[in-house]
This record gives sequence, C-alpha cells and structure tokens, in this order.
Amino acid sequence: MIDINATLIAQMLNFLVLVVLLRIFAYKPIVKMLKEREERIAGSIKKADDDAAAAEATLKQYQEQLAGARVKAQEIIDKAEKRTREDHEASMQTTKAEIDQMKHAAQQEIQRERALAVEKLKGQVAALSIAAAEKIVSKNIDAAENEALIKEFIDQLDKDKIGDLPC
Amino acid sequence: MHEIGVRETVQFAGLTFNWETLVMTWISMAIVLLIAILATRNLKMVPTGAQNIVEGLIVWLREQTLTSLGPKGEFLCPLIVTLFLFLIVANWLGLVPTMASPTNDLNTTLGLALFIIVMVHTLGVYMKGMHYIKHFFQPFPIFVIINVIEEIAKPITLAFRLFGNILAGEILIIILLMLAKWAILPSVAWLAFSLFIGGVQAFIFTSLSLAYLANAVKDSEE
Repeated sequence: MIDINATLIAQMLNFLVLVVLLRIFAYKPIVKMLKEREERIAGSIKKADDDAAAAEATLKQYQEQLAGARVKAQEIIDKAEKRTREDHEASMQTTKAEIDQMKHAAQQEIQRERALAVEKLKGQVAALSIAAAEKIVSKNIDAAENEALIKEFIDQLDKDKIGDLPC
Repeated sequence: MHEIGVRETVQFAGLTFNWETLVMTWISMAIVLLIAILATRNLKMVPTGAQNIVEGLIVWLREQTLTSLGPKGEFLCPLIVTLFLFLIVANWLGLVPTMASPTNDLNTTLGLALFIIVMVHTLGVYMKGMHYIKHFFQPFPIFVIINVIEEIAKPITLAFRLFGNILAGEILIIILLMLAKWAILPSVAWLAFSLFIGGVQAFIFTSLSLAYLANAVKDSEE
C-alpha cells in the first residue's frame, strides 16, 4: 500500500510540468491583467484628483476675475461721477465768470455813458451860461430885469428837458 | 469494485509505475489547466463569472505567498498557486465515483513534499549562502542533530499527513458503500466531510510549504 517506486519521480515531473503550464496559461496573464487594472485604477484616481484640482483652480480664477471686474466697475463708476462733478463745477464757474464779466462790462458802460452825459451837459450848461450872459450884457439891464432873465432862462431849461439826468 | 491497497503497476524502461496514480494525476492536471485556461481565456478589466473565482484564488494565494516570503518570493507564486490548485482538484477527484485521488498514493505526496524540501534547501543555499548552512549549527554545534531530524521530519510529515487523510477518506467511502444499502445518510455525510477535508488538507500542505520556503527565502532582518 505504501510501496515507493518510480511513480514518485514521475509525479515530481508531472508537478513541474503543471507549474510551468499554469504559469504560462493562467498566472502570467492574470498578474498582467491585475497590474493593468491597478494602474488603471491609480490612473483614474489620479485623473479624478487632477480634475478636481483643476476645477477648483478654475473656480478660484473666475472668482478672482469677478472680484477684479467688480472693483474695476466701481472704479469706472467713481471716475465717471467725479468727472461729471468736475464738469459741472467747471461749467458753473465759467458761467459765473461770464456773468461777472457781463455785469462788470455793463457797469463800465453805464459809468462811461454817465460820464459822457455829464460832460455833454457841462458843455451845454457852459454854452447856455455864456448865451445868458451875452443876453444880460446886451440888454444892459437892472437888477430886477436881470433876475427875470435868469428865471426865464431856467424856465427854458425846464422846458427843454435836458435836466433829466440826476446831476 | 475497488481493491484497497492493491495497485495496478506498469513497467516502463525497467521502472515500476502505479498506473492508476499516473492517470489520475494527468486527469487532475487536465482539469486544473482546463479551468485555468477557460477562466483566463478572455480576461476583462471588470471580472465576471469564472474569472472572478480563478482570479480571486490566484490573488489570495499570491498575497499569502508575498506576506510569507516577502517581495523576493514573487517568483515562487506560480509554484504555490499550482500546488494549491492541483492538490484541491486531486483531493476532490477521489470523491467522484470510479475516480481515485492521485494523493491517495504516497508516491505523489512524498514526491511533492520532497520537491518542496529540495527546493527549500537549494533556495536557502542559493539565496543566503553559508549563512543558511550555519543556522543549522545554532545556537550550539550539537543542535545540528535536532535540526537534521527536523529537516528529515518535514517532508515525511508533510507527505504522510496528506496521504493518510485522503486514503482514509477514500477507504471509508468504499467501506460505507459496502456496509449496507441503508447507509446512504452516513455515506453522504462522509462525502461532504471528505470535501471539507480535501480543501483543508490542500490548504495545510500549501501553507506548510510556504512556511518552509519562508525559512529559506525571507530575509532574517525583515
């Protein structure tokens, strides 16, 4: 029942053959496939991580851009407001200056006209005075007549209405 | 009817062979190869069906090997995978009517055990050199006697454990069948138990082989 014979050697060889065959037909392909699967899983995980990181980076970038845009928009609005205010102020100032200038010119004009009128009046008064004096001298009159003459002259002045100016 | 203890022998080139054992071994080998090839013929990234089972077995044995032997033991993975698959198929083959387990012949089990032990010592000397030989003489040179007895005992226990379990199982199956027609229930129960024993013995043989190999291959620093 427990006789040892050449079968022992044969079984060793049989086993060796089986090891070689299994190694070729089952072990190697399975290990290769396992490695591939491992790599693929590792790759997938890495890719997922990378994608998530990239997405986060993009989001951050967008947020930064958005914040930047908001700041810029505010800046533009501020600038525009400032410019409007400045323009407004400048135009106000110009208008004011123009008004001042016009006022000034008008006043000067008035002054000049007045001076001219006074000058004219002065001239006329002198001429009239001379005329009146000539009349007095030519008539050779007494004091009473003289007074009457002057009164007449002044009445004439009133009648001619040259003394409209407030002098 | 199966004659217990009588082996049909053939003579070839002046050597004696147990014919039944050889045939059963070839059948076992064929079954193992067939399963392996069928399951791995169309490997997919996402495993289905038979691929799952064979893949799971190989992954499990590979892990066992790598944990016992360390990364240096990678090249022994196919050996361990083959050992387990062959033994489990061989052990269960005897449960099929008209078939016999190749492992019910001491030639097979002792052959495998010697194969493993020769491998252990060859690898030990090859990978560790003098250090491996020296460890038989430690802690004192006199311990070499105990160590040598231990080394001789290893293949013998390995071989007889498997041989005894399987042969006893098969003998009991035959006896239970011979016993009486009404003994179907014990027969079935014993068959189920033999199934369990076949698996367990295949695992034990593989695990012990791994342990012996670890002694020779694994770095002592690890």
